This record gives sequence, structure tokens and C-alpha cells, in this order.
Amino acid sequence: MKEMLKITLSLVAIFIAAGLVMGVTYKYTSPVRFIAEKKEKEEALKAMAPNATDPIVPAGNWSSSHGKPYEYYQATAAGKPVAYISSTAGKGYSSFVAMLVSLDTDLKIKDVKILHHGETPGLGDQVEEKSFIDQFKGKSLLQIVLTKDSSKTDNIVAISGATISSRAVTNGVQDAVKTLVEKYGAGVVAAPKEVKHEHK
Amino acid sequence: MSTNNVNYGTIIKNGIFGENPVFRLALSLCPAVAVTSGVKNGFLMGVAVFFVMIMVNATVSLLRNFINAKVRIPSYMFIIATWVTVTDLVMAAFARDVYKQMGLYIMLIVAFAIVLSRAEMFASKNKLLPSIVDGAAMGMGFLLALVLLGIFREFLGKGSLWGMQILPGKPVLIMIMPAGGFFAMGLMMGWLNWIDRKFFGGTGASSGGH
Repeated sequence: MKEMLKITLSLVAIFIAAGLVMGVTYKYTSPVRFIAEKKEKEEALKAMAPNATDPIVPAGNWSSSHGKPYEYYQATAAGKPVAYISSTAGKGYSSFVAMLVSLDTDLKIKDVKILHHGETPGLGDQVEEKSFIDQFKGKSLLQIVLTKDSSKTDNIVAISGATISSRAVTNGVQDAVKTLVEKYGAGVVAAPKEVKHEHK
Repeated sequence: MSTNNVNYGTIIKNGIFGENPVFRLALSLCPAVAVTSGVKNGFLMGVAVFFVMIMVNATVSLLRNFINAKVRIPSYMFIIATWVTVTDLVMAAFARDVYKQMGLYIMLIVAFAIVLSRAEMFASKNKLLPSIVDGAAMGMGFLLALVLLGIFREFLGKGSLWGMQILPGKPVLIMIMPAGGFFAMGLMMGWLNWIDRKFFGGTGASSGGH
């Protein structure tokens, strides 16, 4: 009985000490991290619409199919819209892939940027590669469909070995574009059709 | 190992060559296969492990008389998890650029056999300074092994090194696939054993005996 108590106490002492170490570290690092992340987000937004001259402020919120809220923005130059931007995410293999998507005023994709993700190193993180992301540029809503057929360059060709992560990016971009088209596309695309998802 | 007469040279040589974590002790092969599809990934992972191993060995060594032998494994695991979390938090705040590259890998270190094994084999029986040196030597051995594997696999698999294209095309694509990781590991182990026997009169694999 006495030994059990000793063992328990020694473990509890270590756990408390470890908790304190982690807590103190968190306390002093999290504000720095928060500011850095905010600044990065602002810079990322600016990079999504380099031709915007006015500060980019949120225009509203939308919630995606997986229920998380995201913001969308209208980037303007001298009061005239030059791009529409939305934050979004897609559910991947082991994380949500958080992204920014920007559209030209003709509602074609201008740029896609992956902000952060926790996909498998060496496999899923290949979606960050330029060759994959660049596929989205210039595409319109109905073209954003994942395919495994590398000849279908009208659509988004999945990375072999990273299909689930490819799908996460594609679905996230699709959600964002759909939202932006609904908000800003009145008259351009009357009723955006439901895009068929590729099932495995 | 004696606690009084510590030969730092031997500790360092053991960590990097004689008991190299990957090629000799054959520990942590899983991450070694997973991250070495490129030199860069291997290097960054190696650096993170290097720091965590030094911190864990130091802590375990300091607490070695306090940790109850019957619950030492949970204690070590908790110490490892704490240092990995601290590394993750500090890097996320103060080394943003590196964190963006390495953030994915850091949390994986908690489950590395090599970290736990050095805590148990060495730090729990030795004083602070030798334990730190052992952590650094083992971490360096791990880092070098990952870089070596990374060079081998990336060069053959992608024809590039550190992301820079050297050969046109992809000579042996399978080398960057998981199966290629095992091929590379086996070839490297065999090759190093051959060198050891031929030139240094060693006994080959598992001379570490763990």
C-alpha cells in the first residue's frame, strides 16, 4: 500500500511539473504566435489580390458543408472590385487543409494558397506543390472536379499516393468558389449546378 | 557503462557510428523510411530529433534518482511528450519559417523508439553531462543517417538533391516510394557493414547488442 502511494506520488509530481512547463511555455509563446499568424494572414490576403489598393476587410461569413465558419472578402482598387477572396478548408486524411482562394471578377480562379495542414509528410503534403496548385488557376466552378485520369486537364488531376489530400483541397476550393459565385456572381452564373463529387 | 569514468569520445563515436540509431540499433526505422523521400525532410526531422534527444536525456538524467523504477516508462514518455510539445510551441512562435517546413514532423517524435531507448539505456544511469553528450551524439547519428538515406533516395528517385533537379527525369521512381525506403535502408546497412568489416575489422550489424 505504501509503495503504491509512493509510485502514484512520483508520477503525479512528474505530471504536474510537465503540465507547468507546458503551460508556462504556452502562455509566453501563444501571443507571439497569434500576432505572427495574424500578420501572415494579412500578407497572404494581400498576395491573393496584388492589384487591390484598398485594405482588404471581411465582407461576411459563410459556413461550409462540414459546418465550419469561413470569411469572404471583396478586394477593391479605388472602390472598384478587382478580386473576390474566401478562406476555406477541406477535410483531408489527418487534418483540415486550410486555404485561401481568390477569384477574378469574371469568377475564374485567380489563385489558391494553402495556409496550413497536417497531412502525412512525404505523401499528403505534396498538395502544396506548385504543379498541383497551379491546376486550379483559370478554372471555373464546374471544372473543379477531382479526377485520377491525368489526360483530363480540364479538371483537377489527383496526385497519386495523395488522393485524399488532393480531394480535400479540391472540395475546399469548390466550396469557396461556390460561395463566392453565389455572393458575387448574380447574372453571370444564374444557378450554379451541383458539381458531382468523385467517389472512390 | 561506468558512471565515474566517462569517455566522451567513445560516446560520440558510438552515437554516430558504432551504435548508429538507424543503421546499427535499427531503431526508429518507421520515421526513417517515412521522411527520407527527400534530403530536406530528412534533415529537418533530424534537427528536431537532435534537440528533443538532448532535452529528454538531460531531464531523465536529472530526475533519475526521483523516478520510481516501476513507473519509469510512463515517466519517460511524459518527459518526452513535454519536450516535444515545448519544441512545437516555441518553434510555432519564434521560428515561423522553419515551423512551416517542420511543423508536421515534430509531434511524431513522441513515438520515436530511439528517444525512449536512450532515456532508458543511458540517461537513467548516467550523470547530466554524459547524458547530454549521448543525446547529442545519438541525435547527430540519427540526423546523419536520415540525410544519407535522403540523398540516396532523392537522387535515385527524383534525380534531385534538396529539391534541386540534377538529373533529367526520375531514374528509379520506386526509391521515393515506401518500398524504396526499405530497399535503401537495407542497401545502406549492408554497405556500411561491409565497410566496417573490410576496413575497421568490425563485426557488422548489431554490434551494439541492443
